[in-house]
Amino acid sequence: MLNMTKLLLIALPITLFTSVVAAEEKIEFNRDVLPILSNHCYVCHGPDSATREAGLRLDQRESAIGKAESGKRAVTPGNAQVSELIRRITSEDENERMPPSDGPKQLNASQIATLKTWVTQGAEFQPHWAFVAPKQPAIPKPLNTVWPKNEIDRFVLGSLELAGLKPARKASRETLIRRVAFDLTGLPPTLKEIDLFLADKSSKAYERMVDRYLNSPAYGEHMAKHWLDLARYADSNGYQYDTEREQWVWRDWVINAYNKNKPFNEFTIEQLAGDLLPKATDQQRLATGFNRNHGITIEGGIIDEEYRTEYVMDRLVTTGEVWLALTIGCARCHEHKFDPISQKEFYQLYAFFNQVPERGMRGFDPKQGIRSPLATTLEQELDAELARLKAELKKPIEIDQQLALWSRGISGQSTRGWAVVEPLSMKSSGGTTLTKLVDNSILTNGANPQKDVYEMTAETDATGMTAVRLEALTHKSLPGGGPGRHSNSNFVLSEFELIAVSLADPSQRQTVKFSRAIADYSQANYEIAKAIDGSVAGNNGWAVDGPTRKLPATAMFIATEPFGYEGGTELHFRLRHEAGFATHGIGRPRLSITGDSPKNLELYGIPANIRQIAAKKRNQRSSNEQKQIREYFLAHHSPKQELEQRIAELEKQKVAAFPETMIMQDLAQPRATYLLDRGQYNEPRDQVAPNVPSIFPAMPKTAAKNRLGFAEWLVDPSHPLTARVAVNRYWQRIFGLGLVKTSEDFGVQGELPSHPELLDWLALEFVRSGWDIKHMQRLIVNSATYRQTSHVGAAAYAQDPENRLLARGPRMRLDAEQIRDATLSIGGLLVQRLGGKSVYPYQPKGLWLELNNRPNYSKEYARGAGDDLYRRSMYTFWKRTVPSPMLKTLDAPEREFCTIRRSRTNTPLQALLLLNGPQFVEAARKLAARILIEGGSRIDGQIKYGFRLVTARNPSDAELAVFRESYDTDLEYYSNDQAAALRLLQVGDSPFDAKLNTAKLAAYTSLARLFLNLDEAITKE
Amino acid sequence: MTHPLSELQSLENRRQFFGRTSTGIGVVALASLLNRDLFSKETASNQGRVGGLPGIPHFAPKAKRVIYLLQSGAPSQVDLFDYKPSLDKLHMSDLPDSVRKGQRLTGMTAGQKKFPVIKSPWKFQRHGESGTWLSELLPHMQGVVDDICVVKSMHTEAINHDPAITFFQSGHQQPGRPSIGAWLSYGLGSETENLPSFVVLLSKNSFHQAQPLYDRLWGSGFLSSKFQGVKFRSQGDPVLYLNDPAGGSDTNRRMMLDRLSKLNQLREKEIGDPEITSRIAQYEMAYRMQTSVPELADISNESASTLKLYGDDVKEPGSHAANCLLARRLAERGVRFIQIFHRGWDHHSNVQKHLPTLAKQTDQGSAALIADLKQRGMLDETLVIWGGEFGRTVYSQGNPKSFGRDHHPRCFSIWMAGGGIKPGLSYGQTDDYCYNITENPVHVHDFHATILHCLGINHERLTYRFQGRDYRLTDVHGTLVKDILK
Repeated sequence: MLNMTKLLLIALPITLFTSVVAAEEKIEFNRDVLPILSNHCYVCHGPDSATREAGLRLDQRESAIGKAESGKRAVTPGNAQVSELIRRITSEDENERMPPSDGPKQLNASQIATLKTWVTQGAEFQPHWAFVAPKQPAIPKPLNTVWPKNEIDRFVLGSLELAGLKPARKASRETLIRRVAFDLTGLPPTLKEIDLFLADKSSKAYERMVDRYLNSPAYGEHMAKHWLDLARYADSNGYQYDTEREQWVWRDWVINAYNKNKPFNEFTIEQLAGDLLPKATDQQRLATGFNRNHGITIEGGIIDEEYRTEYVMDRLVTTGEVWLALTIGCARCHEHKFDPISQKEFYQLYAFFNQVPERGMRGFDPKQGIRSPLATTLEQELDAELARLKAELKKPIEIDQQLALWSRGISGQSTRGWAVVEPLSMKSSGGTTLTKLVDNSILTNGANPQKDVYEMTAETDATGMTAVRLEALTHKSLPGGGPGRHSNSNFVLSEFELIAVSLADPSQRQTVKFSRAIADYSQANYEIAKAIDGSVAGNNGWAVDGPTRKLPATAMFIATEPFGYEGGTELHFRLRHEAGFATHGIGRPRLSITGDSPKNLELYGIPANIRQIAAKKRNQRSSNEQKQIREYFLAHHSPKQELEQRIAELEKQKVAAFPETMIMQDLAQPRATYLLDRGQYNEPRDQVAPNVPSIFPAMPKTAAKNRLGFAEWLVDPSHPLTARVAVNRYWQRIFGLGLVKTSEDFGVQGELPSHPELLDWLALEFVRSGWDIKHMQRLIVNSATYRQTSHVGAAAYAQDPENRLLARGPRMRLDAEQIRDATLSIGGLLVQRLGGKSVYPYQPKGLWLELNNRPNYSKEYARGAGDDLYRRSMYTFWKRTVPSPMLKTLDAPEREFCTIRRSRTNTPLQALLLLNGPQFVEAARKLAARILIEGGSRIDGQIKYGFRLVTARNPSDAELAVFRESYDTDLEYYSNDQAAALRLLQVGDSPFDAKLNTAKLAAYTSLARLFLNLDEAITKE
Repeated sequence: MTHPLSELQSLENRRQFFGRTSTGIGVVALASLLNRDLFSKETASNQGRVGGLPGIPHFAPKAKRVIYLLQSGAPSQVDLFDYKPSLDKLHMSDLPDSVRKGQRLTGMTAGQKKFPVIKSPWKFQRHGESGTWLSELLPHMQGVVDDICVVKSMHTEAINHDPAITFFQSGHQQPGRPSIGAWLSYGLGSETENLPSFVVLLSKNSFHQAQPLYDRLWGSGFLSSKFQGVKFRSQGDPVLYLNDPAGGSDTNRRMMLDRLSKLNQLREKEIGDPEITSRIAQYEMAYRMQTSVPELADISNESASTLKLYGDDVKEPGSHAANCLLARRLAERGVRFIQIFHRGWDHHSNVQKHLPTLAKQTDQGSAALIADLKQRGMLDETLVIWGGEFGRTVYSQGNPKSFGRDHHPRCFSIWMAGGGIKPGLSYGQTDDYCYNITENPVHVHDFHATILHCLGINHERLTYRFQGRDYRLTDVHGTLVKDILK
C-alpha cells in the first residue's frame, strides 16, 4: 500500500505543503518522477521513436541506465554525481542544459532536487499504475468505527484520519432526498416523496428512498443523458449543412438498457459489436448505433475516402476515451509521445473499426428499421388498429343504407345560424389597407407584403359561443377575381387565432382553443386543420387551390369549450399569413359567430336544398331529388375515403415511429488496413492486422480478431482499465470530479487517483457484482461519504476547493438538462414520457436560418407545441452546429465529438436565460398557480409551499421576510397595473387559469422567478 | 500554477472586497462571461484586465484587439487582389499539368475534362503611394490601400468549406479545437467590464447558395465554455434573453436582483461555497449588460459624416457596413476579439453576376472601418483582417461563358491592417496562372502565429493541457511572418 499521508500531500492539488517534498523521504517513481519526465523530457526522450534524440528514452529503465549514442549513461543508479541526466539538467552552460533553453518547459529547483534524490535512491522505475490490473486492496481500519456505512467510507475515512481531518456531519433529510433525487433521476423530489421520506422513521428509510429512485423510469433517462455526451449523440449530421438524422431509436435503447440494469459488460459488447454476436437480435444490432453517432458530411466536392477515414478515426478515438480513458488519437500521426502506444498499434486498433460498408459522402448506410424498445406498446396499438380498419375496408358497402342513415342524421334539425360580426378595428402588420364593406366583410388592397397578420376586433353580447366562421370571399378587385391576394388568386392562412376579453372586467380574458376546423374546400396538403395546429413553420397552413378554383371558401373553427363573458365580450381575431409563399393573404375575409351545438355545426357545409331533400322520406323524394342527394353524398362521403385516410395516417405514424437507424456491420470481405503516414487518408504505408496494444493483456488466441473479440477483451475481468474507467465516471457524475480527476486520460499524462485503493476496490466490486451498474450507484449514494453535508463554511472550501479529500458532501451547479427539467417539474409542466422522436421546445426565432439559409438545405426551427414543449431536455432536438441555446448556455456540449467532462461555468448569460427565457418565465407562472391552488389560504403558507417545491426545505424567518416583502410589493404593483399582469401571464403557450386573481397570480409569478433564480434552486446541495 | 497560499490570500482579498459595498460587486461582477473566473487560478498581470494567464502577454503587444472580417465561401483572389496580366494571353487555354502538378481537386471539378483558364473580366489599377494593385470591384478600398498589407501568398490544406473554415478558425480541420477568439480570451482575459471579450456578428446573407456557419466556429473546444464567442444578433434580443419578460418593469427587476443578492448572501454565509458569491456577481453583470448592450447597438449618436463614411447600408441592421460600425463601437468599449462573418462568396457559376454583388456588399464598410479607426487614432492598436477560407481556381468550373470558379487552396489573398502590420505592402507572389505560390508562402498556421504575435503572444507558449497534451492554436507548426510586421 502506498504511503497514504504522502500520497495525499502530493497527489491532491489542494495541499499547502506541496513544495515540501522532504528529500530524505522515499521517492516514488509514478508519483514524483514520472510527471516531471513525462512533461519535460518525453517529447524527445519518450516512446515516439521518430522524434527521439540521442538514442535515449527515459520511459524505460534499460535505456535510461544504458549507454546513449554519446556513450554516456543518462542515469547511474545510486550515483547522481556521474549521471549525465543530472549533469545536463543542472548545467550552467545554456547549450548543454536540458530541457533546451529555447523550449517552453524549464525545470524548477524542486523538480531538479526530486530527480537527484531519485537517482541517488537507485533510480527505480514503476510501471504506470493504470496499465497494471487492480489488486484487491486491504480495507483500511479507521479509528472511528461508527461513521462508515460501507467500504467506500473506510477508504475515505482512512485518508481523512491520516490528514488529521474529520468527516462533516450528515446532511439534513431534506437536503439528502433532493440530492439523491437529482443524482439518480435528474429531477427534484416531489412533495409527496419528501413527506414519505420524512415520515419514514425506520433505520432503512434512506436506503428505501434510494431504491425508489433507482427503480424510477427517470433513472434510465438520467443515466442515458450522461452516456449521450460520451456517445456524441445528436439529431443532426454535424458538418456543413448539418441536416437531420433519426438516431433516436438508439437513444431509446440506452434508456431502456439502464432501466433494465443491463450489466455493463453486455452494455459494452452490444454497443460495440452487437451485430457480430451469434444470432444477433434486432435490439443488439440497434445497440451498435453507438459507433454511428459521429458526424457525417454531405458537402458537395468532398473526397470520399478522406471522410470515411475520419469516421473510422472518430469511432476508435471515442471508443478509446470511453472505455480506456486513453488518448489513443495521439498515435494517429506518430507514435504516442507519452503512453506506450505505437502508431502501428493505433492502426491495428483502427482495423477493428475499418470494416463498415460505408462511404464518406452521405455515409448513412448501413441502416435498419428497428423499433424502439420503449415503443412496443405504441407499435402494438398501431398494428391492432390498422388490422381492424383494413378488415373494415374489405367489407362490401351498402351505399343506400349509409345514405339513409346520413339523411336521417341531417334532416329536421334546426340551427341557430351565424351572426356576422362587425369589425370595429382592423390592422395589418404589413401595411395592407383594410376596408370594411357594407356586408361587414373586409376588403384588402394597397401594399401587398411578404407576410401579413390581420388583426380585427369585434364586440358581442353573445355568451356560450361554440364556433367561429371565416369566409374567404372573392371580389372583382382581387387578382383573377378570386379569394386570395397573390397573383394566382390563392392564399395561405398559416394560423387563425382568437382571444376573448371580458368587456366588464378586462382582466378576464382567454385564448380560445379550437378542437376542430372544418372547411368546405381545402387544397391537398393544405388542410384547414393546419390553420389551428399552433405551427406557422414552413408553408404549414390552409389554402384553396386559388390558381384553378377562384371561388370563395368557408372555414369553421369549433371551440373546445363555449366562450363569451356576461356583460359582453371583445373578440380579437388574428389571421396570420406567414408561409414561405409571399403575398398570400386572404383577399376579403368575413367573420361570424354562432352558439350552435357542435353536432349541428357539422351541417353547415351542406347546402340548404340537400338538407330539404334529406328531410323528406325516401318515398316522397322525386327521382331527381334522390339522384341529387345520392350524388352529393357520394361526392362528399366516399365511404371508403375516411377509412383509407385513417389507414394512411396510421401507416405514416408507424413509419415515423420506427425510422431506420444507422448501425454497425462488417464487410464480408475484410477491408485491408494500412498504417497511414501522418494520419493522412491518402498516405498508406505497411498493411496491419487487427490487434490490441502490447502494453495490455493479449487477446485470447481463440478470440475472433474483430470488433466482437475486441469488445469481449475490453470487459475481460483482468482488463486493467475498463472497470476503473467506468466507476471513476460514476464517481465523477455524483461528486463532480472523479477519483482520477482527468477522467478522460488515465495515461501517463493524466492525474494520479486521489484514492487509488478505493478506485481499485470499486473497480473490482463492479466486476464481482457482475458489472451491476445500479449496484454501483447504490453503493456510492448509500455511503456516509455521500451523505455528508456540504455546508461546512468558507474555511473548509478554501482549504479544499475541489473536495478531493471528501471531507464534505458534493455541492455543485446542476447540469443544463437538470435545471430545465427541474423547473418544468416544479411548475407542474413536465411531461414524463419515455423515449420517442426528439422535440422542439421554445427557441428564439431565426437561430437556424441566420447561420444557414440555403433553400433545400436549411429550414427554420420548427418550434413544437403542446407536450413537446415540456418533455425532458434529453429529448430536445440536438442540432450540432446550433445547439439549443437553453442547454448550451448552461454548458451542454455541441456533441460534435465525445465529451467526458463538461465545463461547469457561471456566467451572466446564464442569469439572463433563467430570468428571462420564456420556458423559465412560463414555468414560474405555473408554479405561481400551484402556489395559489395548492398552497392553502394563508400567504405565508403559500410562500412556504412554493419555496419547498423548489428547495425541498422550509424557508428561514429571514428568508420568509424577504419573500413576503417581495410578494406584497409586487401585489401592489400588479393590482395597479392589470395590463402588465396580463402581459406577464401570457408568456409561453400554456393558458393561465382565468379563475385565479390576476394580480395575485402575477405577484406570485415574480416570487416564483425569484425562487427559481436562487443559487440553491440550480444547485445540488 | 500560482502558489496555493497566494491563491488563498487573493481569495481573502476578494472576500473583503465583496464585503464592502454593493457597487463593489458591480465592478467585479463582470468577471466571468466575460471570462473572468473570480476564483480561478488565473490572475491579472495587467492593470484593468481580468482573467487571462500570468505571464501573458509575453512581450509588449502592438495590437490591443482584433477585428476580423471573415469572408465565408472564399472570395476570388484573381478577380480582386492578385492582378495577372499574364492571363490575357493564357485566356481559354487549358491549365497545363506542369502547373497543376497532380493537385487534388474537389469532387465538383474532378470529373471535368478540360480546365480552361479564364482571365479576370475586371480592370486592375495601381492605387495610393504604395501602388497596390486592386480590382475595380473594390472602389472604396482603393482609398485605403496605403493602410493595408495585401498578402497574396496564403495557402491552406483543406479544399472544402467546412474543414477549411474550421481550420482557419481553430487551426484544425475537424471540430473540437478552440477558436482563435476563445484562445485569446483564455490567454489575455478581458479588458471590458460591461461586455464579453469575444463578440461575433453575423451579416445577413442574400446569396442563395451561401455556405452555412456553425457555432463551433466561435466555440471554445476543450477550453472552458466561458471562453466561447457571444453572438450579437441583428434580430430579436441582441444577446439571447437580454430583455425582461413582458409585464416587468425596471424597478421590479432591480428589486428582484437586490432580493436575490440578499438571499444568496444569506446562504453563502451559511455554506461558505465561493461559487455563490460568483453567482451574485454574474447576476449583477447580467443587469449591467441589459443597459450596455442596447447602448452599444444604438448608433443614433454617430455623426452624419461617420454614417456617410460607411454608406447607406449602415442603416440596415445586419448589413456588413452596419456590422463594421458596430465592430468599431465594440472595439472602443474594450472588446478583444470581434469577428464579422459575411457569407456568399462561393461562386461555382456565374462569377460575373455574383462577385460584383458581394464586393459591393463589403467594400465600403471595410474601407470605412479602416478610415474610421484611423481618424480616431485606433488603427495602430487594432489589427484588422479581411479574408476567406481559401481561394478560387483560375480555370473555369462548368461552361466558360457563364464561368464559375472552384475551390483553390494553393494560393489566395487576404489583407491585414493596423496593429503592428506594415502598411502599404503587397506580400508574396504567385505564378502566371495564379495557381502556385512562387514567393513567401504564408500558411494558415503562420497567419495564426502572426496574429498572436501582434497581440504580444508567442504562439508556442499559449498552451492548454487537454488529454495529456499541451495544445496550442498553431498545433506543432506556425512560423511568424516577420516581413509584414512593422
